Amino acid sequence: MTKLLLIEDDSETAEEITAELADRGFEIEWSDNGIEGLDKARSSRPDAMIVDRLLPGMDGLTVIEALRKDQVRTPVLVLSALGAVDDRVRGLRMGGDDYLTKPFAIVELVARVEALLRRPAESRDTTLRVGPLELDLIERTAKRGDRVIDLLPREFRLLEYMMQRSDQLLTRAMLLEEVWNYKFVPATNLVDVHMGRLRHKVDGPEEVPMIHNVRGAGFILRTGP
Amino acid sequence: MLQAQIIRSITFRRALAVTGAFAVFVIALFGFIYWQTDQYLIARSDRMIARQLNVIAALPGERRLDAIDEHLRQDSRGVQYAGLFAADGRRITGNLEQFPPGLQMNDSVQSLSVVRTLQTGRETHAIRAVARRMANGDALAIGREVDETREISHVVGQALALGLLPAFCLCLVAGAWLSMRAQERVEDVNQHVQRIIAGDLRERLPHRDVDDPFSRLAAIVNGMLDEMETMIHALAGVGNDIAHDLRTPLTRARLALERGRTNATTMEQLQVVADKAVANIDQSLTIITALLRLAAIENSRRSAAFGNVPLHELLREVCDIYEPIAENKNIHLRVEVGHRLNVRGDRDLLLEAVANLVDNAIKFTPEGGKVDIELLLGDSEAIVRVSDTGPGISEQEREAVLRRFYRSDKIRSTPGVGLGLNLVAAIVKLHGFRLVIHSGQGGRLEIICPDEQCEGRGLGSPMSA
Repeated sequence: MTKLLLIEDDSETAEEITAELADRGFEIEWSDNGIEGLDKARSSRPDAMIVDRLLPGMDGLTVIEALRKDQVRTPVLVLSALGAVDDRVRGLRMGGDDYLTKPFAIVELVARVEALLRRPAESRDTTLRVGPLELDLIERTAKRGDRVIDLLPREFRLLEYMMQRSDQLLTRAMLLEEVWNYKFVPATNLVDVHMGRLRHKVDGPEEVPMIHNVRGAGFILRTGP
Repeated sequence: MLQAQIIRSITFRRALAVTGAFAVFVIALFGFIYWQTDQYLIARSDRMIARQLNVIAALPGERRLDAIDEHLRQDSRGVQYAGLFAADGRRITGNLEQFPPGLQMNDSVQSLSVVRTLQTGRETHAIRAVARRMANGDALAIGREVDETREISHVVGQALALGLLPAFCLCLVAGAWLSMRAQERVEDVNQHVQRIIAGDLRERLPHRDVDDPFSRLAAIVNGMLDEMETMIHALAGVGNDIAHDLRTPLTRARLALERGRTNATTMEQLQVVADKAVANIDQSLTIITALLRLAAIENSRRSAAFGNVPLHELLREVCDIYEPIAENKNIHLRVEVGHRLNVRGDRDLLLEAVANLVDNAIKFTPEGGKVDIELLLGDSEAIVRVSDTGPGISEQEREAVLRRFYRSDKIRSTPGVGLGLNLVAAIVKLHGFRLVIHSGQGGRLEIICPDEQCEGRGLGSPMSA
């Protein structure tokens, strides 16, 4: 089972998070202050960490900094009520791998934790293969089986991102940040529209749908039914 | 203690110093005049008696006596002295009782004193005299009182005193008055400032349009107060805005939850209630975040994050992103970037601003319309223009659109909070650009970047997508 460490000082929030993650099959350990959290991180070696920024004892970013100094590479998701871009940049620069502002949807948290745990390995392959989909990263062409898919550059980027994280829930926020480099949330449902286009091209009329919309959460590219 | 304040004040001390210097100078000047006058008068007197001596000495012996007597007779004021003495010292004629002791007979005028015996008694007078020995052995002495010249000098001195003293007093009074006025003005300003500190932000320092330092200072401080008032209102306004517009979604959430709690009997019903509540809470959070961001940008030091932003690329990106959305409404979205242009700014914010404009344009344009994104180079500025074939913004609406939470009736059914243009305006202002909203048929909004903010422009091959 995947082990997670949550360092969060608000017990109600921590309870909700713990419950949700446990439901999903994770093993969760919880600490409510920075010093104890740092200890636990060193001793129990979790697979990923969720760290609140504002903690008693030692603040979240300092905990991460200390871990990084010790060459501990555990992926960390930073939670914070501080939502300005500068805060986000700082959080990531201090060693965090992803940054989520409060309040957040629990679905978002889970999706990002899973993304952290299954970060695509650095691959030298010039071809991406997921199920019948094949992407040539040099030529920038796409195929499904034998059918050539004609993709616009932005659609290619989107598909590439999804294929690298196949079978993972990808929230709209994640897609906006990673694929389009948007630091803000536009009013219009940009992601949905783009995803709609892509789906239309990838999932032909007779074919098994691979791109799925998870209601209220995001999208997922499934390899199998 | 007004007096103590006056005396201590710098204005007064300065006035005092100036007065003192002035007085010293005037005294020195008058002293000089006095001295010169004295010298002149004496010199003139000396010339006269020397001339007189020559005249009388040139006369033949017998005539001399008459001349001396005549000379003395004509001396109505009694300031002349003359005497002819025999070789043995015996007085021949004249009003000198004896040959003045100490008087050298060398034709040079000297100062000495003589004693005169009059009805009133013996008097000592200071005179200037000259003497010569005649050919026949007689001694001729001609003299003149110096007291007279002294008197004239005295008059000058008195004039000095009479004039200087009042002038001195006048200076002191003027100094005191100026100092008092300065104190008054400072006190006046202080009163106003106290009121401002107490919270009345509308207060301004009074000043007349005179070109005096106080007025200029007041004008400067007023300008500063204007800025501060705007900022404080903006910050306070955030609180007001938040309170005002959060009530609706939060009330909805609460109502839904309350009703659901009482009336819901099935799981599905509760889920519907929960969904409603979450949606409204999310709406509230969106508003809060947007307003805080707006305030942060409007009052921001985010210029620290400024870098080099290739505007031409940014516009193409926005077009790329919104293309499918435009397509859904059958709107032809086009970007025309004929030049490369880099600006100093925050890429994320500029992207958001342009995206907002394009988003609005698409929202407002009916099916089958057009939206154009253009980058134009003007005389001393660059223009990012977003135009559409929609109904546009009327003259009256132009003011209104920049109000918080304003949403035109034309798009009331679409999602959005009504802060988009506020955000664009704030971002534009932060960058030192200008936002121009044109009225009339067809929407047209422009972000104007003056050349000073641009870092490099060049001509690329015109491209449109």
